[in-house]
Amino acid sequence: MIQRDQLALRKFVVPEFISGHGALHLAGRYANNFGLRQVLLVTDPGVRTAGWADIVGESLTDAGVSFTIFDSVSQNPRSGQVMAGVEVYRSEECNGIVAVGGGSPMDCAKGIGIVSSNMQNILTFEGVDRVTMPAPPLICIPTTAGSSADVSQFTVITDEEKKRKITIVSKTLVPDLSLLDPEPLTTMPPELTADTGMDVLCHAIEAYVSNASSPMTDLHAYEAIRLIHAALPAVIDAPEDLNLRFSTLLASLHAGLAFSNASLGAAHAMAHALGGTLDNPHGRCNAILLEHVIAANYEAASDRYDRIGAIFGEDERTTPAEKVATFRRTLGITETLATIGVPADSIPTLAREAYADSSLVTNPRRLTCKDIERIYERAL
Amino acid sequence: MSVHSDPPDDPDTLREKIIGLGERSLHKSYYPELQKRLSELERFRALLDQTHDAIFLIRAGTREIADVNASAGISLGYSREELLAMPFPEVIAPQDRERCSDIIWENGDHPSESYLICRASLLSRERREIPTEITVRFVTFGNEQYIVAIARDITERLQTERELKIKESALESSTDGILIADLAGAIMYANPGLASMFGYERGEMLVGRDLAAFFADPDVGKTITCRLLKDRRIEGEAIGLRSGGVPFHIQVSGSVVQNDAGQPLCIMLIVMDITERVINDQLKREAYTQLGKNIEQFAILGDHIRNPLQVIVGYAEMIEDPLVMRILDQSSRIDEIITQLDRGWIESASVRQFLRKHGDDTKSRALFFARITEARGEDS
Repeated sequence: MIQRDQLALRKFVVPEFISGHGALHLAGRYANNFGLRQVLLVTDPGVRTAGWADIVGESLTDAGVSFTIFDSVSQNPRSGQVMAGVEVYRSEECNGIVAVGGGSPMDCAKGIGIVSSNMQNILTFEGVDRVTMPAPPLICIPTTAGSSADVSQFTVITDEEKKRKITIVSKTLVPDLSLLDPEPLTTMPPELTADTGMDVLCHAIEAYVSNASSPMTDLHAYEAIRLIHAALPAVIDAPEDLNLRFSTLLASLHAGLAFSNASLGAAHAMAHALGGTLDNPHGRCNAILLEHVIAANYEAASDRYDRIGAIFGEDERTTPAEKVATFRRTLGITETLATIGVPADSIPTLAREAYADSSLVTNPRRLTCKDIERIYERAL
Repeated sequence: MSVHSDPPDDPDTLREKIIGLGERSLHKSYYPELQKRLSELERFRALLDQTHDAIFLIRAGTREIADVNASAGISLGYSREELLAMPFPEVIAPQDRERCSDIIWENGDHPSESYLICRASLLSRERREIPTEITVRFVTFGNEQYIVAIARDITERLQTERELKIKESALESSTDGILIADLAGAIMYANPGLASMFGYERGEMLVGRDLAAFFADPDVGKTITCRLLKDRRIEGEAIGLRSGGVPFHIQVSGSVVQNDAGQPLCIMLIVMDITERVINDQLKREAYTQLGKNIEQFAILGDHIRNPLQVIVGYAEMIEDPLVMRILDQSSRIDEIITQLDRGWIESASVRQFLRKHGDDTKSRALFFARITEARGEDS
């Protein structure tokens, strides 16, 4: 069991955020306050179709801020998409970025920002504290409750050539403002709601058991688990309920504040490997892996896992891992890695990728490559 | 959150950095960059202030001076604050004000990459007029259009231009032929005097041609060039060749034009038509020769007269006749005349020397040809 010292040095970085119904419409005012004249509005085709990018665009126009839309962003955003966005940013002489969407547009927007100010290829920033020049002002408007990229110090970009995800970690990546409006979440389909919700749960649990956790991150992580457990099944049944949507958004905010400062663990390390190699949806990978990682880690942080388990029900005969597994099945996520297309013979490669992932250093139990292979096999 | 470039074999260091305790872990702040930019601006400002040109930033709409460099204030005798309170046309001399304003403001829709140039005098506080060349460029900052006017004091340039004009007029109006050629002998400039001398309508018709084409002996041009580069100065006579192929006598003096470091830049020749003088000299030579011959003939004639006179005197002394005395007396008178002629011959030595000199006056011309011949011998 890892002993935690509450006197150990910890940092806690929080961005400015505005939450509540209508926050979306403040984009123009704040863009203007940041002195932005020409904004790159980064989004994706789905969000544009839903109309949220247009609403943000109207807000910008009303505030006298010009903008150019960049929506060439896919799931697991690619380095080429980031560099293409930088070209648009430069050619349109933008001086700030507004990201509207889920984790992909927000991560891509962060990438565009640091490349435009540092004049280097996005792949050169891989690692921790490699960003020397702060990016231009970035306003994030999440349309999913999951990635928490709007408050985190991370961005994850896929290296298309090597088919792997790179992670850029820097406090300068924390956006300048997050506008947390529940309304854009109402157009999410149930499957996406479940996947992103499970991503929130995974963020919160991994931050809570992280060996870099602190009293501050514990507070946010625990509240995130409590909120998402309560709201997620209900919101799938009532997708237009703004209060439920807001609860999931709040859960995502808490989880983001927690993991941005305490980091993550093995589930994310392994999900990154799946996303980079096989382009699997990030939230779904986390959902499938989480219970198996909990089981593997349990002995190293049993007290914390037990407290998490208690949120899911007082039944002491059921382990926290089993409770989380039951929870995700109630959301309709019943797949295994095999059913989402992961071949068994890819496990050694995936394990090596996951073993090299920095999320592992804050996992409560130090895992070997073989340990990771065994977890993949159980999730298969 | 994977960091593939950070090796997992040093998890503690990586963990510290992820927590945010690394040396370069800093929340997004524009202040260090702002400080850097301000320092750069201060340096740039110092650079602008040090330049000799007066630089004005003018609001295109109001014509007010928005900013000036230090040189503008120093040259005009105003403080920066005083200039910032003045419309730009007020610093233009009254006679140039309207013309200059028309040039600048009637072209206000020019694109930023183009510029205009106008000459106008600036007016100092003491009403002193400073002739300047003003370069005007249109720029847009934010939504406002500005004009950058860079005024260069051209007092010295105008003085130099005046002096050059005088020198050029002197060259153009000279009755002597003046020619400037490059070091290979190609003509760069020929004044009207030279063109006329050689039978051309304008000096430009000679530009680009080789010196050799203007001498009866084509080798003379090359010889002159070589000799000049060796001795830096020559003087002599030669046979020039007019456009119709008619030869004529010319006197040529030449020098090498050098830069401050003593390196040769070009050659300059002054050419005079001396045909008339040469013909006159020839006539004089012939007359002097004839005169010398006549004087010598007189001396010989005296000797020839004196011999029969001695015979007459001898015979007269042998006879007895009252007329003898008269014969001897007249013979004595003839002898005196011859003696006087002889004395005159002796006394005319300097005259004969002069006649010898001018009766065969090829020395000065021969000197030049001798030099040329000598040089030709060296060249070969």
